[in-house]
Formats: sequence, C-alpha cells, structure tokens
Amino acid sequence: MGESLHRIWGLVIKELLQLRRDRLLLGFVLLGPLLELLLMGGLVGAGVKNLPVAVVDLDRSGASRELITRLDQTDELLVKTYGESVAQAQEWMQSGQIAVIVMVPPGYAEALANAQRSAQVQVIADGSNHVISTVATATTENVAAEIVRELTAHPAAASRGPVELRFVARFNALLDDRPHAITAMLGLIVYQVTLIIASQSFTRERELGTLEQLRITPLGRLELMIGKGIPVLLVGLVDCLLMMGVIVAWFDIPVRGSVLLLALLTIPFVLVQVGWGTLISLISRTQQQALLFVFALAMLEVALSGFMVPAGDMPGVARVVSSVSSVQHYLVVLRGVMLRGADLRSLWAPGLALSGVACAVNLLAWLRLRAGLDTDSLRLRLQVLWQTCGQRRRARQAERDTKKAGGRSASQVKKRRLTGETV
Amino acid sequence: MKRFLSILVKEYQHIVREPRTLWMVFLSPAFVLVALSMIFTSGSGHVAVALWDQDRTAVSRQFAGSLSSDNDFSVGYVSNYREIEKLLVERRIDAAVVIPPGFADTIQGGETALVQVILDGVDTLVAGQATGSLLGHAAHFGLALSRQLSLPPVPLQVQARSAYLPGATERDSMIPGLIPIVFSLPVIAAALALARERESGSLEALVATPVRGLEYLGGKLIAYVTAALAGLLPVWLAAAVLFHVPFRGNPLLLVLLTGDFLLASVGLALFIGNLVRSQQTATVIALFVFFVPGFFLAGLIDPIDTTDLVSSAISYVLPTTHFVTICRALFLKGAGVAELWRPALALLASSLAWVGLGAVTFKKRVR
Repeated sequence: MGESLHRIWGLVIKELLQLRRDRLLLGFVLLGPLLELLLMGGLVGAGVKNLPVAVVDLDRSGASRELITRLDQTDELLVKTYGESVAQAQEWMQSGQIAVIVMVPPGYAEALANAQRSAQVQVIADGSNHVISTVATATTENVAAEIVRELTAHPAAASRGPVELRFVARFNALLDDRPHAITAMLGLIVYQVTLIIASQSFTRERELGTLEQLRITPLGRLELMIGKGIPVLLVGLVDCLLMMGVIVAWFDIPVRGSVLLLALLTIPFVLVQVGWGTLISLISRTQQQALLFVFALAMLEVALSGFMVPAGDMPGVARVVSSVSSVQHYLVVLRGVMLRGADLRSLWAPGLALSGVACAVNLLAWLRLRAGLDTDSLRLRLQVLWQTCGQRRRARQAERDTKKAGGRSASQVKKRRLTGETV
Repeated sequence: MKRFLSILVKEYQHIVREPRTLWMVFLSPAFVLVALSMIFTSGSGHVAVALWDQDRTAVSRQFAGSLSSDNDFSVGYVSNYREIEKLLVERRIDAAVVIPPGFADTIQGGETALVQVILDGVDTLVAGQATGSLLGHAAHFGLALSRQLSLPPVPLQVQARSAYLPGATERDSMIPGLIPIVFSLPVIAAALALARERESGSLEALVATPVRGLEYLGGKLIAYVTAALAGLLPVWLAAAVLFHVPFRGNPLLLVLLTGDFLLASVGLALFIGNLVRSQQTATVIALFVFFVPGFFLAGLIDPIDTTDLVSSAISYVLPTTHFVTICRALFLKGAGVAELWRPALALLASSLAWVGLGAVTFKKRVR
C-alpha cells in the first residue's frame, strides 16, 4: 500500500512539473477563467437592451409622440429612425438595421380620448430571434399599461380588471439575470478546463511516444489512473475556488449557504470530468480527436444545463439525458447554496446524482483501461473473443462429428480440429 | 504554387488517413446540431404552482379550480408560508399563489382584488415564463368574471406580431443561430493541427524545406476550410429536412458565405495554433476564444446592444457574431447579397487580418 502511494505520488509530481513547465498553459488554466469571468460576467446577463426601433407614426399627434417618447425611454427599446410606411421599415428590418417596428395608426389620439373606443398600436418584431419578439411585445405592453393607468377618465377597475397579481421574487428580488448567468459560466468554465486537461492525459503521452515509457514503469493501471486524476482534481478545485472568490467579491453575489458543503459537492463534479476525460483519452489516438470529443460533449452539456432552455421544458428524451449531465446537477447545487441558502437536506438529490455519475463514469474509464492502453485494444480483444468463440463452436462440431462417425480414429478428429483453427 | 499544393495534399492526407478524424471534421457539426436542437420544444413551458387559499369562498375556489384545470400549470395546495419557502428551496415549485382573505368580497364590491405571487427569482427564464403564464391566466379569469358588468373596452391595445416566423417557435429561430457554433468543432481542429506539428517536432523538418510561412499557412487554411465546408451539407439537411426550419435564401450564397466565415475563423484558429507550444494550450485558448463567447456574446440569445461600445467591439471581432446574423437572415428572412454585404465584408477583412498576422508571427518564430 505504501509502495503504491509512493508511486502515485511520483506520478502526481511529474504531472504537476509538466504543467508548470508550460507557462502559457498554466497561465491560461489558472488566470484564463478569472479573466473570462471578469470580462464577460459584466456583459452576460445584462438582459436585452436598446433594441433598434423604427417608428411609423401615421397619427402625428401629441398622444402618439408621448407614446414614442415613453418607448424610447425604456431600457429595452431605442428609437433609431422614423419611416414613412411599414413597407419601408420592413426593408430596414430585412437588412438587419432595426429589430422592431412600432406603427401608430391614424386616429390613435382620438380613440384614446374616447372611452367607448379602444386605440391600437402595432408592434412588428424581428422573429428570426425569438427573444426580440418576446421582449419587444412585453415592453410595449408595459408602456401601454402605464399610459392607461394615467388616464384618469377611466375607472380603476376597468383598466385593471377584477383580479390583479402582485409579484414578489424570492432569492433575487430584482429578478436580475446576472446571478443565474454567472453561476452558469462558472460551472461551464470549470467543466471545460478540467475535461480538456483530463482528456489529453493519455493521448498526449501516446502521441509523443512517452506512453511506452510509462508502461515499463512499475505503475499499475489503477495507480496510473489515480495519479493522472489527482492533478486534474486539484486544478479543478483551485479554479473553482478562485472563480467563486471573484464572483462573491466582484459581482456581489451572496453565498447564503455553507461553503464547506459547496466545496464538498464540487469534488464529485470534477471527478465526473476526470472520468470522462480519461475515457476520451483512452479511445482517441490523437489529441485532435480527443479535443473534438470534448467539444461535442461540452456542447451537449451546455444545451442540457438549462442555460438556453429550462430543464423542465425539454422534451422527454432530452430530460432523461440531462439527468446524467453533471453540469446541470452542479448548477442546481451551486445556485442552491449560493442563492437559495439550501442545505444538504434539500440538496441530497443532486448531490447523490453527482456522486452516482462520478462513480459510474470512473468505473467505465477503469474498465476501459483494464482492456488495455491502446486505442485499438478493445477491438483486438473483441476480435480475439470472436475467434475463441468460433473455435469452441468448431470444436463442439468436431466432437459431435466423432460421436456420429463413432469408428473414426482420434487422430482424424484432431486433424480436423487443427485445420478448423487455421481457417 | 507547387509548394502550396504539396502542403495542401499533405493536410488532406492527415484528415483522411484517420477515419475518426475524417468522421469528426465532416459529420460532427451536423451531429452536434441535431443533439442541440433536440432540447427545444415547440410548446410553451409548464409551471409548477403551490396554491394557498386563505379566502375559502366559492369565488376563490373558482379561481383555484380554473388554475388547476389549465394545462400550463400543475397545482399543489399548501397552507402556510413555511411550506412555500421549503418547496421553493427544494425547487419543487416555480411559483406560489396566495389568495388573501376577503378576495371574494372585494371582487363582488366591484373593486380589484390583489393576489400575491411568490416567484423563484433564481432562474430568470423560468420566472419570466411563470409571470407571463400567470398574468395571462389572471386576465382571462378577470374577463370571465367581469363579463356580466358592462365595462368600457380596454383603452389601449397592443397588437404584436413577429415577422418571418409568425408562430415564433423558439426552435426555428435557434437552429440557424446554432450553425456557427457547431462549426467551431472543425475550426478548433485546425488550431490543433498547427500546434501538433510544433509539439511533435515535424515543423523543424518543414523549416528545412523551401516552404514559406504563407504557403504553409495557406495550405493548412484551404485544407481545413474545404473539409469543414463539406460538412455544411449534412448540417443543412439536419436543419431543413429533419427539423423543418424554413430556408428562404439562396443556397449558393449560403455556401459562399459559410466559406467566408470558415476562412475568418480558421485563420484565427491558425493564428492561435501558431502562438502556442502544445496542443493542450491551443485547446484551452480555443475554448476561451471560440466556445464560451460563442454561446454568450455572439447575439445567439440576447441580441447585441450596439450602444455598449466595449461589448459590441468584442462581439464584432468574433467571426461567429457575423455568421449568426448571416445564417438567420439567409434561413428565415430570405436575405440576399444586397442585405448581407456588410457582415460578409467584415468576415473577409478579418480573415485577411488573421492570416496576415499568422504569416508575420510565423516567420519570426521559425527563425
């Protein structure tokens, strides 16, 4: 046992030395995530702002100008040009200069002043991005509601209806997008960095020819896997802690739960990546192949992490697949601890899922490693298995033949078996 | 020219020799696109709601009943705030609706009754969805209640419609936007191809040959651009045939502009591959340059805020941003050259800049 630990320790030291030697890599692994987070954390999750609007005002009254000014004053919309007709504005939309057309039909002011009629405003949004149409519609409706509220001529009940909802948002009172987006970035960056480093471990050695040297050392296969995994785990944990510090200090996102619990649950999350990475590095022959595997896998994880579509809204198949997505579970833990102040009692499900996936993936990697270090070893093994099966079948056939023939000599049977083997 | 061709042939052999690499460069974009598109549904979201009825009258039960019978909601009943808090922390509900005492009396008195809604504010996407669904439901319920009172019409109505995709399905608008991102796979492979030569030492051998920097980079560039361009066909088939995304533009223009985009991004990738010493480093840098910003900054989800100079400058340096615009315009708007010359020119300029930069730095490093 002591011997084994000593050997693993040696391998860990070697890996860390290798990491230190490549200064650029070390810099990017440790500082890259921080820089990326600082640069982009301020940009992502800022929400939709200043969508360029073309106004087609066919009423040209004080009331219509009031409406347009109010639309322009919102964060989401920015009046860019005035068009003569909707057709002209649609041409601008076609070339991508504007995203929204607001059309005020003639007679708007009169209809607004008349209690028996209802004034109309038309909003045409660029549907080639569904976010634009959602935001533009919601913003205009808010402005319209504001205008209606100020029209004192109407009784309150008429404009508000019998039931009104008052919204309160827990954990994030202002419904700020940033905590959600930044935690997603943290999870994804840690995921990517650890997966990339892990996935190139064996592939790099193979490509450079040093795998041969590793094989003649007394390191066992399990020791090899553990020794390669520990540095990645360290890098992942350090990255995670650094980025969490930046999130808390720079972006003012609170940690309402226990930091210890978060750190504890980060370990299985990084271990999943170590497992996947080892598996990938065992089946790809070049680092290029390993990288393509990593990015294909990473895109799926991004998609399933609930960043683009909430996990609950995905179709059945995707929901099943997303239950093995480590990023998704980890983000639940991360947001739970940081924003909701959750404890282990409410996080046991994602915690268990993370640990389960970590065990399963690492077991898979270990099984693949047992089959051999070569990329083709699995295929070779299967070929051998296939051949032995064939031989056994032929042998049984031969036995049956001898029973049938009865009188045939043993040497004849042996000869047949031999020829069967060579075929 | 001859030297350039020999580099080109060598690169093709590299790609074709390994069936796995060939498969990945050619088919991985389509594969990833299909997998990514699977997560989008055409239907609207489902909201899990906890309901606390403090009023317990016929009207409040009618409100609760109408909420449970609505297919957009799944409703559970609670009877205090502690339960609501616990359910929110455990993420079992998206929102809680609290009907206050005196709800029925207020409505029957002709006034507006207030209903409290407690949202889980962490996932703003879900919170927005819950808000929209509940508001729609309340308006509907209010309309049904006030039908007997002859109230004047709503004074101001907004008629919203979305151009190009009247149904406004999320999937149709997302798939063309995802195409640039899935093409980053073969692009990053090119960065590694360069780093690999340096790592394995075969670059030393190349330096000894009369091949010049620009010929070398050009050979690699053309090999990877054409190999990736061949992958456009399966991508297009996946989008147009499998997911029925309308394609309204000119197919030839799509091929040309995809080539334009690939020139720019492979150029950038080669520049990165040229700077680093190991493939691992190339991968990590490619991740920070192509992958994370591609999802977050290229205008894929939130449109770019053109008034914010810093963020729009970063966005427009990324080739992905321009190609997101191009793909959406070609697929959904049916735009032509007249509308797309701007992003096309930007891509061409950046490809020239990156290849030029690559050639300059390459010469220095060989010496």
